[in-house]
Amino acid sequence: MQSIITDIPPLVDRGAAQQPGCGYFERFDIHAGVLRKVLAAALSRGGQDADLFFEHATSTMVALTDGAVNRASTGVELGMGVRVVVGDQVGYAYTEDLSIEALLSAARTAAEIASGGQARQPADLTPRHYADLYPSQRRWDAVGIQERAALVRAWEAQAFAQDPRIQKVQAYLMDGERVILVARPDGRLVQDHQPMTLGWVSCTAEQGDRKESAGYNIAARRGMEQYDGAVVGDRLVEQAVERTLFLLDAGSPPAGEMPVVLAPGASGILLHEAVGHGLEADFCRKGVSIYGGRLNQRVASEQVTIVDDGTMPGARGSINTDDEGNAPQRTVLVDKGKLCGFIHDEISARHFGVDPTGSGRRESFRQPPLPRMRVTFMENGPHPAEEIIASVKKGIYCETFANGQVQIGAGDFAFYMRHGWLIEDGKLTRPIKDANIIGNGPQALESVTMVGNDLKLDEGGWTCGKDGQGVPVGQGLPTALVSSLVVGGVG
Amino acid sequence: MMRHDDLLDIARRAVAQARAAGAQEAVASASRGVAVELSQREGLLEQATESRSSSLGIRLLVDDRYSSHGTSDLRLDAVEVFIQRAVAATRLLEPDPDRALPAAEACGVAEGVDLDSYSEDQEGLSTGQRRQQVADLEAALMARSDRGALRSTTAYTGDSRSAAVVVYSNGFEGINRATSFGYGATITLEDADGKLPEASTGYSASHDPDLPGLAFVADEAWERALRRIGGGPVPSGRYPMLLENRAVGKVLGILLGPMGGSALHYGRSCLDGKLGQRVAARGFDLLDEPHIVRGAGSRLFDGDGFPTRPRALVRGGELQCFLMNQYYARKLGRDPTTGSTSNLVIPPGARSPQAIAADLPRAIRVESFLGGNANSTTGDFSFGIRGTLLEHGQATRSVSEMNIAGNLFELYERFAEAADDVRRYGTSRVPSVLFDDIQFSGM
Repeated sequence: MQSIITDIPPLVDRGAAQQPGCGYFERFDIHAGVLRKVLAAALSRGGQDADLFFEHATSTMVALTDGAVNRASTGVELGMGVRVVVGDQVGYAYTEDLSIEALLSAARTAAEIASGGQARQPADLTPRHYADLYPSQRRWDAVGIQERAALVRAWEAQAFAQDPRIQKVQAYLMDGERVILVARPDGRLVQDHQPMTLGWVSCTAEQGDRKESAGYNIAARRGMEQYDGAVVGDRLVEQAVERTLFLLDAGSPPAGEMPVVLAPGASGILLHEAVGHGLEADFCRKGVSIYGGRLNQRVASEQVTIVDDGTMPGARGSINTDDEGNAPQRTVLVDKGKLCGFIHDEISARHFGVDPTGSGRRESFRQPPLPRMRVTFMENGPHPAEEIIASVKKGIYCETFANGQVQIGAGDFAFYMRHGWLIEDGKLTRPIKDANIIGNGPQALESVTMVGNDLKLDEGGWTCGKDGQGVPVGQGLPTALVSSLVVGGVG
Repeated sequence: MMRHDDLLDIARRAVAQARAAGAQEAVASASRGVAVELSQREGLLEQATESRSSSLGIRLLVDDRYSSHGTSDLRLDAVEVFIQRAVAATRLLEPDPDRALPAAEACGVAEGVDLDSYSEDQEGLSTGQRRQQVADLEAALMARSDRGALRSTTAYTGDSRSAAVVVYSNGFEGINRATSFGYGATITLEDADGKLPEASTGYSASHDPDLPGLAFVADEAWERALRRIGGGPVPSGRYPMLLENRAVGKVLGILLGPMGGSALHYGRSCLDGKLGQRVAARGFDLLDEPHIVRGAGSRLFDGDGFPTRPRALVRGGELQCFLMNQYYARKLGRDPTTGSTSNLVIPPGARSPQAIAADLPRAIRVESFLGGNANSTTGDFSFGIRGTLLEHGQATRSVSEMNIAGNLFELYERFAEAADDVRRYGTSRVPSVLFDDIQFSGM
């Protein structure tokens, strides 16, 4: 079972300190000779393939609570994971000690998955460069604590200034620099420098005897330039305040099956849970996905085209390379209603005899890569949003979400709505909040009866969890109507 | 025995370096762990993972300013630079005088308690023994394949040992050593209508002999997967909810969230002002029991270095305490209790879940949750559920694609009875629990 969480986003990427460019890990005495020796140890028992994954990541968080920037934390992650592959079988080990002895010991441990076949020598290593989707102008290691503190202080002041009903404000700035290096026996050597930042403002408001809390966050693979000109900060505060005040007047939605209109943007969580996970090809390889045997079949109306894209500049879910050293792709999953592709890592791609999609991702050097989503969205359809809302006699309109989950085999999925509206006779009539919405993936996809022409990519700090590994992802949707889902209200 | 003397050296050195760099107080924790995990499918070892990890964390107080830091780069020179930078960065923050460490005399470990959390057997396990165990579990799962249309099954096993030390600049030092052994399985079946119902089950314990046995796990995985066949919603309405023991933790979370010091301090607790008042039905008791021998959440000292002791959280339906660590206690002008729970206990009742269900014309047994969330500010919650419709105790329909929703106070007021089937694994040592008249939404 998988889940995705946002409201208090963990800082997944922890980035590093110094210069990018090839040879970053030379500061840890990691040279081509060392890499080849460790790869040779990994292949010493006859493994078919192997990879070494080095990671150095640093992260910083500053927090404003109780009117003062009075908490900060930093983290450093340094280590190497080695994977040895035999068919669909994987041996994995990691070490935080980058001495040659420790690296070789980890490689020999991972090699034990192979039963003792012919040893193989790796090819000469050659650096490979892909497109740079997130050139950072002001790297986080060059930004002082005071500059970060000034940002969150400004956000707090703005939030209080917006409405007297705001009683408490918390503001956080999280950022990081992560450098990875992937070395493969075929000679591939791929290094990537991955910045990340996330701003988060959370408010508590009171009105009469009612009290509500909500927040907003904005994430991107960018340096400090993300906050130049205050555009991002202004939107962060405005949304956090607006969402908190909204709840003061909101009620619980009705309970039971009803039509659900999804607002553009964060509603992409529906795709992530109802379709995306089921199309991760490791589940198909094991025969446990409900979408497994449905390639080239119609799974949705002709209005529905779904894409998983790792190549959107600056997006939280984008990657210059995946964690197996493959360039990311724009992968079309559903084309005009027809299932046309899966999300592959190298193991599943080999299993199905197709090319990998650049989707082999991992949380850190402590875990082997898996097929994972990047930025998942639905392409525009023909309908204006007003027409979609006007078509619903009685239902709900969902604007924001906190979290979701799916059960792969049965296809049952859920996502949690935080803000929405009741729809009566084609109009948004009353604000609603806090309801779990549940459905079955393939049925829900078939029930997408109208797709809007207003695609919006969400800017929130979504983190997708699978097998205990969190990776940063993105999602988006145009306004869309699902003709029936089960809403967990009380009214 | 897992070594810890060098961990103490690492942590003591870090505290000394922090003080030398200008910190008045520091708390350093150092840990090391070794873990092996195996999974097997279709007669082959699918994945074998071996982890050896170590880390250092440090919390700093510099001129009344607070920060926390962690690193896995334990090279001596790297640690020294890391701590110097951390102290320098802390000076740039604003003061928060409530961050003081507890007085030395308030810190310590609970006396006269042996938690028995470490088994010497773990280090003796060989690769061959581990591979045999995961193969045996897969064989046990496959041996039952006459029970249903099997699509896929995966067997998992794992074991680990760890040592962790914490060193306070006020003189307190604590040591934790623990082992863990566990196994579990996932089964995916094929439904007549093309769905692939699945179920997982798993157990872990600090000592291998405390585990229930491979045959038990194989039987349970099959039984739980078979229960999921033909699942769908039943009509919306109010039903008694018989919550299975393994699923109770999520519902306890609705209550524990607003009990936290952080929720209270930031104005996000619907339990603010309710201390000593009734927040649940009179029959409801909830205890925090840190000293259960071999308990998954057992501990001798807590996150502030306070010695642990058992305490009632709710007794007779009345809220007995908040979860208040040193920091939030100072913020709110209260006495600290503990910042987080250890093992949660609901005392067992007299009847089995089957006997309770037999008396109900219609009830929904909730076996697991899907998605959902709870709002600690208001107490409102909404969760997706899976389970079984029971009529006079007989299973008549597999239930999925349904939600429960309501409010904390309304839910706990409807607590009716605890069953006698306390689950001895995990940090919720609780029996199945019956709640009356809960809102389910589905068809």
